[in-house]
Amino acid sequence: MSGLFGALGIAGTGLTVYRKWLDAVSDNIANMNDAVATNADAFQARYIVARTADYGSGTEGVQVGGAVLSGKTDGRIVNEPTNPLADEDGNVKYPDIDLGDQMSQLIMAQRAYQANLAVVDRAKDAYQSALQLGKG
Amino acid sequence: MTIGPIEAVGAGSPIGGLAPIGGLEATESTTSTNGADFAAMLAGGLQKVEAAQDRADNLAVQAATGQLADVHEYMIAANEAQLTTQLTAAVRNKAIEAFNEIMRLQA
Repeated sequence: MSGLFGALGIAGTGLTVYRKWLDAVSDNIANMNDAVATNADAFQARYIVARTADYGSGTEGVQVGGAVLSGKTDGRIVNEPTNPLADEDGNVKYPDIDLGDQMSQLIMAQRAYQANLAVVDRAKDAYQSALQLGKG
Repeated sequence: MTIGPIEAVGAGSPIGGLAPIGGLEATESTTSTNGADFAAMLAGGLQKVEAAQDRADNLAVQAATGQLADVHEYMIAANEAQLTTQLTAAVRNKAIEAFNEIMRLQA
């Protein structure tokens, strides 16, 4: 991985991880209002697990180690008798997702993505400065 | 949505090249006038440049056909191709500069 322009590739792995994190958060927010019948499993929020790629083995950087599901499948029981999915007591199940929590996840992922972009930018500037060495 | 593990983005790896620059040790002894070393080094370097540009081109095609998963992957590949090309041009310019300097010796 760390070739001639290693920093670019390494920052690229970071960008990929945070892009996936953004995807996961948007998926969680999109599914926030999925009502299901009370005997079914509610949607569970998904979180990205970032893992370091083996440093020094030629694969520096970060990678997605996997996705973990968070929140209970019990969800939140809401009384909604008009919902076609409601049981005989008029209850349906909503996912146990907190929008505020997802928003802070969103900001973290976005800022980290921007940080990695800044690394790419500065690395490119640095390499270009090195190429100017001795000119003029 | 299933989020599979990334298949370790091999971004930098094809551009690991231009290592043969270490071959300049040969010029240490001015008696060896082996010009093939530099030519071979330059040819190897040019192949690395081509590989980097191929990678960027492939990603550009993916972007045009809507198959590109990550915008930054193309931008980084394009940057790497550009930097590699600039490095090759710099090496070539320096070599020609040195050659011209030698040619001016008799003047």
